[in-house]
Amino acid sequence: MSEPRRILELTELSVAHAGVPELDRFSLTLEAGETVVMLGDAGSGKEALIRVLGGFAEKSDEISGTVRFADTEARPAAKRARPPIRIAYLPSPLAQPFVGHVPVLSQLSRVVARKLGSPLTTAQEELRLALERLGGAPPLFVFDQKPRLLDPLTMAWGLLGSVTAQTPDLVLADHPFADLGPTAIRTLLAALSAEQKRLGFALIYTTGSLQPAARLGARVIVMRGGKVIEEGAVARLASGHAHAYTNTLFKALPQLEFDKPKGRSAARGQPLLQVYGLDLIGDGRREGITFELRRGASLALVGEEGSGRRELARAVLGLDRAPIGRVVFDAVDLNVLTQTMTSRLRRRVAFITGADDALDPRMSLWDTVDEPLRAHLNLSGDLVGGYREAALKRVGLSSHDGRRTVATLSAFDKRRLQVARAIVGAPLLAVVDEPLRGLDAFAQTVMREVLTDFRTQQGPAFLVITSDFTVAQALADDAMVLKDRKLLERGPIVDILKSPRDPYTKGLIEAVTFPGLSQSPPAV
Amino acid sequence: MSLTSPAPSTPVLSTALRLIGWGGLGLIAVAVSLSDFLAHAPAGAAGVGPMLSAPSEAFPFGTDLLGRDLLSETLHGLSVTAGHALLAASVAILVGGLFGAVAARLPRALSLTLRAGMGVLAAIPALLLAILVIGLTARLYAPLAAGLAAAPLAFVRGYDRVEVQSKSTHAEYARATGIAASTLLRRDLTYEFRDTLATVAARALAAVTIILSTVSFLGFGATPPSRDLGLMIAAAKANYLQAWWTAAFPALALVLLILCARLAAALGEGERP
Repeated sequence: MSEPRRILELTELSVAHAGVPELDRFSLTLEAGETVVMLGDAGSGKEALIRVLGGFAEKSDEISGTVRFADTEARPAAKRARPPIRIAYLPSPLAQPFVGHVPVLSQLSRVVARKLGSPLTTAQEELRLALERLGGAPPLFVFDQKPRLLDPLTMAWGLLGSVTAQTPDLVLADHPFADLGPTAIRTLLAALSAEQKRLGFALIYTTGSLQPAARLGARVIVMRGGKVIEEGAVARLASGHAHAYTNTLFKALPQLEFDKPKGRSAARGQPLLQVYGLDLIGDGRREGITFELRRGASLALVGEEGSGRRELARAVLGLDRAPIGRVVFDAVDLNVLTQTMTSRLRRRVAFITGADDALDPRMSLWDTVDEPLRAHLNLSGDLVGGYREAALKRVGLSSHDGRRTVATLSAFDKRRLQVARAIVGAPLLAVVDEPLRGLDAFAQTVMREVLTDFRTQQGPAFLVITSDFTVAQALADDAMVLKDRKLLERGPIVDILKSPRDPYTKGLIEAVTFPGLSQSPPAV
Repeated sequence: MSLTSPAPSTPVLSTALRLIGWGGLGLIAVAVSLSDFLAHAPAGAAGVGPMLSAPSEAFPFGTDLLGRDLLSETLHGLSVTAGHALLAASVAILVGGLFGAVAARLPRALSLTLRAGMGVLAAIPALLLAILVIGLTARLYAPLAAGLAAAPLAFVRGYDRVEVQSKSTHAEYARATGIAASTLLRRDLTYEFRDTLATVAARALAAVTIILSTVSFLGFGATPPSRDLGLMIAAAKANYLQAWWTAAFPALALVLLILCARLAAALGEGERP
C-alpha cells in the first residue's frame, strides 16, 4: 500500500504583525485527505497561519520558518512565490467576501477560472457541476444575483461549490459557516467531507466554535496566544483528561439535557402575550397559530431561516401586520391600536439579537444604555448613571470606556451591550433572536450566562428565536417548532427532545447532538 | 470573532488635513480680528501712497489706482468676506442641513414634498439663486442670499443622511422597543450634526465664500465703501495687465480662505455645504 502523499509541511513558523507576535514556532504536517481543525479564540494564531498559507500576508508581517508543499524543497515561509499545489480559500459569508455590485455567480466563476487557468465559460460549467455534486446546494442560476439578495446559507453553498470546482490540493477553511444554524452547518460539513473523500484534498479548518470540531471528528489543534496548547482527537480532548484551557473550551460545547427537570410552565402566571389564529401565509387555507405567553414564562420559536419564526415575532410585536389573526399584548389588542399607542406598549419589550447592526454605531456605550431610561422616564442624571453602571457591571462591560462608540466595539461587546440596554428598560417581554450566532466558544458561554442571569434576576418573559435546540433549552422552557411558516409541534422542550413527532424536529435535534461527546438522545 | 474590542482608529491623513485647515482658519480669524491694528491705513483710505506702486518695503502689496495701500485693503476685504461668509454659512447650515434633518422625520407626504421642492431648487446653480434672492431683496442681504442659495443642497444632504438612518436596522429595533420618533430625531441631530458640525461648517464656509465673492465680482454683492475680496478683484480688472498685484493679493487671500476651509473639511466636496 502506497504512503499517503504529503501536502504540507510547516516547520517552526512564526508570525509577528507590526511587532506583535501572533504565531510562535508552529509546526504542522498534513497529508492528502487529512483534516486538521485549528480551534481557538481570536488572536490565537490561526488567523496568522491562514494569512501565510493563503498568500494574504501583510507588509507589516514578520515571518520566519519554512514551508514545504508536496514533494518540493522546503523554502522560507516569508518568501512570496506561487505555491506548487492548488490552494483554495473558503471564507465565511459573514466576512463579506463578495463585491457588492457584481453578481455572485460572476465573482465565483472568476475565482475558479483564475485557479484553473481556464476560460470563464469553462469555469462556470465546472462551478455548475460542483454545485450539482454537493447535493442540497442551490442551482447555478440562483447565484446570478448581487450578494445582498442572497442569504448566508446560499452564499456558503456558493463558496463551497467554488472551492470544490477548483479541485484543490489544500483547502483553507476560515470560519466558513460561523453565522449559520446547526442544521445548515451539519449539512455543509457533510458535503465538505464527502467532497474531501472524493477529491482527496487536505483541509485546514479554523474555528472558534466547537460544533464544527466535534462534527468533523478530525485532529484538533488547540491554539492560544499563538501557541499550540495541545493536539489530539476530539474524543480525547473532550474527555476531560486534557489541558485546563481545552477543558474550558469543551465545557462551552452546548449540550442538550434530555433529563432536565421541566421549568416553569407557560401555562402559569398572568397572560402577557396572546396570539389567536395568526396565519403567516395569509391564504386562509389553514388554522392559524394560537399560543399564549404568560408573565415570566419562556417560549422558543425553533426553526431555520425561512421557517417563519422571525415573521411570527415581528407580527407578534406589531412591527408587521399579519394578514390573518389577532395579537393581544398585556391585555391590549395590537390590531386596534394606533402607531403611537403601539409604540407606548413596546416600551416594555426588549430586543436582543445576533444582528450586529441592531445598535446605533454612532452612539457611545453610555448613551446606548441611557437612552431607554431618558426616553421613557424622568430620572435625574445620578439615577440614570447608577442604573447604567449596575447594568454594565452585570454584563461585564463596566471596565470599558463609556465614551467609546458602538462602532468600535467587538461583536461580543455589542451583544452584551444589548443585554445591558434591555436590563435598564425592565421589560415585561424580551425577544431574543439568535443571540449566540457567530460568537466564539468562550463568548457563547458568557452570553448564555448573561442572558440566564437577566432572566432569573428580572424575570421578563422570554421569546427566543433560534434554530439551535441547545440555545432554546438554555433560555426557554417551552418551544414551538416552525417550518415553512407552519407550526409543526409545541410543548415543553424536554418532551420535544425526548419524543420529537416530526422528522424536521428530529433533524434539528440531531444537528446539535454529538455522539461520543455529549449525551445522545434516547431511542425515539 | 474578537472578544476584546480593537482600539478606535482615526485616519491619519484626514486628521492632518483638518488640523492644517483649522490652523489656517484660526490664523485668518486672528488676522481678521486684528485687521484694524495690522492695517497701515483705514479701509478705503485713498492717497496713502503713489498710484499703482509695485510691491515695495513701504507697501508690501503695492498700491492701487487711488493710491490705497493694498495690504491694508486686502486685510479689510478679507475681514468683510470672512464675516459675511460666516453669516452665510450659518444660514446654510440652519435653513438647509438642520431643516433637512427635521424634514426627513416629518409625516411622509409632507417630507417627500419638501424633499422634491428642495431637490428642484438644488438643481439651480447656487450663484443664479443668490443673484435672484438679491434681486428680490437688496444687495445688503448678499450674505443671507448666499446662505439661502447654498441651503437647498445642504437640505438635500441633511435629509438624505437622516433618511438613511431612519431606514436602518438599529432604528427599526429602537422603534420596536418603543423609542419615539422624537428621540430618534434627537439621535440624528446629535450624532449627524454634533459629530460632523465642524466638517459641515467648514464645507459650507468654502461654498458660500465662493458664492459671495463671485456675486460681488459680478457687481451684485458688496457696495463701496464696504469692499470685499470679490469686489476688489473686480475693481482691479482695469489695471490688471499693468499692475498684477492689484488683483493677485486679494485673489491670494480669497484662495487661502477657501483652501483652509476645504482642508478643514478634509477636502471633502468643497462646493457642497
